[in-house]
Order: sequence, then structure tokens, then C-alpha cells
Amino acid sequence: MSRLLLKFENSILKEIPLGTRPVTIGRAPDNDIPIDNLAVSNYHARVYVEAGSLVVEDLNSLNGLFLNDIRVERAMLKDGDSILIGKHQILVDQLHDAALPADAWRKAPVPRVNETMVLDTHERRKLLEEAAAAGERSQLSPERMRVPTLTVLQGRTDQKEYRVAGKLTVIGHSEMATVRLRGWFTPDIAAQINKHEDGYYLGRGDRVPKINGVPISGLTKLNDGDLIEVGRVRLNFLFRE
Amino acid sequence: MRFLLRIQTGARTDLGRVRKNNEDSFHLEPSLQLYVLSDGMGGEAHGEVASNLAVQTIVTHCQQSENSRATPTFGDAQPDVSERTNRLASAIHLANRKVFEMAAANPEKKGMGATIVAAWIEGQRLSLAHVGDSRAYLLRAGTLDQLTADHSLVAEKVRIGILTPQEADASELQSVLTRAVGTNANVQVDSNEQMLLVGDTLLLCSDGLNRMVTDPEIASTLLTSTSAQEAADRLIELANEYGGMDNVSVIVLRVTQKSDGVLDRLKVWKRNSG
Repeated sequence: MSRLLLKFENSILKEIPLGTRPVTIGRAPDNDIPIDNLAVSNYHARVYVEAGSLVVEDLNSLNGLFLNDIRVERAMLKDGDSILIGKHQILVDQLHDAALPADAWRKAPVPRVNETMVLDTHERRKLLEEAAAAGERSQLSPERMRVPTLTVLQGRTDQKEYRVAGKLTVIGHSEMATVRLRGWFTPDIAAQINKHEDGYYLGRGDRVPKINGVPISGLTKLNDGDLIEVGRVRLNFLFRE
Repeated sequence: MRFLLRIQTGARTDLGRVRKNNEDSFHLEPSLQLYVLSDGMGGEAHGEVASNLAVQTIVTHCQQSENSRATPTFGDAQPDVSERTNRLASAIHLANRKVFEMAAANPEKKGMGATIVAAWIEGQRLSLAHVGDSRAYLLRAGTLDQLTADHSLVAEKVRIGILTPQEADASELQSVLTRAVGTNANVQVDSNEQMLLVGDTLLLCSDGLNRMVTDPEIASTLLTSTSAQEAADRLIELANEYGGMDNVSVIVLRVTQKSDGVLDRLKVWKRNSG
């Protein structure tokens, strides 16, 4: 596992293992590497992993950050690098087991370095172009041209087939339901389908619907051909031309 | 519709532990069952001005449209959502215009803007609209789902599949939004709907919460709090405990009871008739 070594003059003061969490360095005591020295800003710098690389970044400190004697704002780190903050030195000791521990439960808190800003028109266009290219690669586009429908396979409903047209499709006894279920003691809202940017999601109402025989937990994305069961009603979710 | 949900509310905003001003704003309007939260941006105190103006504009516009159906609408109405949801989106379009005009008229306020997440409940139906990276979550039957998709550079890249969620979490570009209220003459508003159920908890929050606290921690806090206000307080405390890197605001809405429903009346009738 990789680690940082905090060094002052000739002695190593501390060893800090590196995980997925960013490591903060500064004078304030709540830093991962607190350095009690006036030349060090409260939140001076941080080291973190981005896209598999170790990165050091100056957090707008007063006296700056030196990587191998060159002042840097932000730089990639490699084994053996030396970071100088005030009079303290931080050595990068990267071992060869590249896999970082999966710290899935606790979020690696990334301090907001920059103020919130909005992409300008040029940047936004670039993103849209990237999105279009990614869309072509995964060939998502054909499905978008097709209309999602619900076909009734079994049960008492007011129609045999429905188009899922709106953002919200209610399945139940309610007057506002798209798929109106008949019969006594049928819940007003038995289940619901929500349209999101990336697809259609089935959610519960006063019943927990099943998809392909499995009861859902939370909003569950529907795939072409899925079998939905709500009480005694069975519906087939299909994209049609 | 004769169904009325009872909504228990809790809300709080906090400076966090790093920032010097609180640029978040929120407003609860129980008379309309309208709840709005905003995270402002822009130097000096302009973020606060932007978020406050946006929130007030939305509440006022929704109030006016309740009083008079002739209230003008702003932005294009979407055919796939209800009139009420379109009205909420219209309020955000108006807020966009107001913030944009204020920034244009005051050169020192250039670049100011705000996120918005707004929930409006009518009967059992929740109308939801948002711009930016403030979120709405729904806790239902123990499962937490995010109902909004962040309009941030990293989130959009994750959605189109050119960035992994892990890379997004570690990215220094998390503060870059792809949309905000007030930074352009026009804005694209996302809106959606959901039928609420008794027992649901809806959470609106600024990114100061979800950047510091994980979804499982949010879920367990909502589940184990005895009231909406307690949940709001505990979420803020958690965000601060984990560093409080940003302002943090939360609105917690608990759907506690349905009154005057057909089923309730039927139960009463059954009980009375023995």
C-alpha cells in the first residue's frame, strides 16, 4: 500500500497510509497531517487519487507548495517524490500493489476547492459532443425512437394496451390512473412508473409490484419485455415502433 | 381528489465549518404544501442574494397562480407533466429571469446564480422541479432513491458513461455545474412527478449534505429519527462532523397521515357496523 512520510530535518515524524480518501495537510488540527508551524496555512494542501493517479494540490495556501523544489499548484505524484510545505517534507512512498482499498461505505470527502461555477457555452457544447459520441458507441439511440407500452396479459383493466406517455404513469383504481384497475378493494395507487432521463422506473404504490417474479425494492429500471405483476394484474412492458 | 396528506416538516441550514457566509436559502410554505431550497453562487454576498431572490420569486409566483389561473407562465410547458408541475417549472423560469436581470443590471454581481430544488404537493401527487446539483431523495419502505439528476459536469459525464462514479467522487471538478438559475437568459428546468404514500420521507438538500454524507448514512438517519426536525438536525450535524466543507441545508418532509380517504371512511364504517 502507498503511504506518505512526514519528515522534519532528519527524522520521520509520521507515516500516513493512502486510501481512497483525500489526505489533507495544514495547520488546523483536523487535517489528516496537521503541521503546527506558522509557515503552514490552516488547510494548506491535499493529496488524493484521481483517475488512478496520485495528485497533490495547493489549497490556495499563503506560502505555497514545492514538489522536488519546484513550486506547483497541482501535480501528479510518483514514488520517491518530495513535497515541501514550510520546513516540513513529505515523501511519497508508493508500493507496487496498485489496488487501493475499497472504502465503499464512507465517502471520501472531497473539499470544494473551487467556488461553484457554471460551464460556459463553449464547454457545454463540448460536453454535448462527447455525449453524442458516447451515445453512438453504445448505440442507445434506437430505443429512444420507440414508444414504451404496457400490454395487459391478465387481470381486470379498462384497456388492453396503454402507451406510457407521461413522466408519471399511475397503475391503480384512482381516477387519475393511466392504467385503471377494476374491482373492489383495489388500491387507488397500486404502483407507478416514472420516466427519467435514462429510462423508465417502476415504483411501489399501496402494493409492491414484481418484475419478472421478483418484488421490487425502491425504484427499479424497466427493460424491454419485462413482466410486471401488480396484485392479480400482469402487464408486459414493451417498446414498440 | 379528496385525499389529503399530512406533511410533517423539518428544516435547517448551516454555515458548515469552512465557509464564511451561508449562500443557501430555503422556504417552507405549508399553506401551499410548497417547499423550495436553493444554493447560491457568486463572490462576496451575491450567492445569498441570488438564492434568496430565486426562492422568494418561486414562492410568490406559485402563490399568485393559486389565487388566479390567469397568472402568466414562463418557459415552454411540457406535455408529459401535469399543469401543476408545469406551473412549478414556470416559477423557476421566472426566478431565472429575475436573477439574470439583477446580475445584468449590477456589474459587480456578474456571474451570480443559484441551484433550485422545489417540491409542490397537491393531493397525493408530488411535483418536483430542479436546476443544478441540489437534490431530492425519496425514502420509501426503507429504500432511499435519488429523484433528481445533478446538473453538474461530473454527474453528466457519469450518465453518458465517460466517467465512473468513483472518479466523479474524487474529481476536483465537482463544483462545475452545467446548469444554474440566473447565469443565462434562459434555463432548462427538469421536472418530474411521483405519487406520495403514507410513510414516505422526502428530503431536499444542498450539495453540502451529499458531498459529506453517504446515501446509506442519509437513509439510516431518516429512518431512525423520531421527527422530521430531528432528522434535519442530525443530517446537518453529520455533514459538519465529516468536515462541513460547504454550507448545508436540508428540508425533510414526512408523509404521516392521510385523512378523509375513501378507505379510511370505509374502515370507520366497518368498525362502527361491528
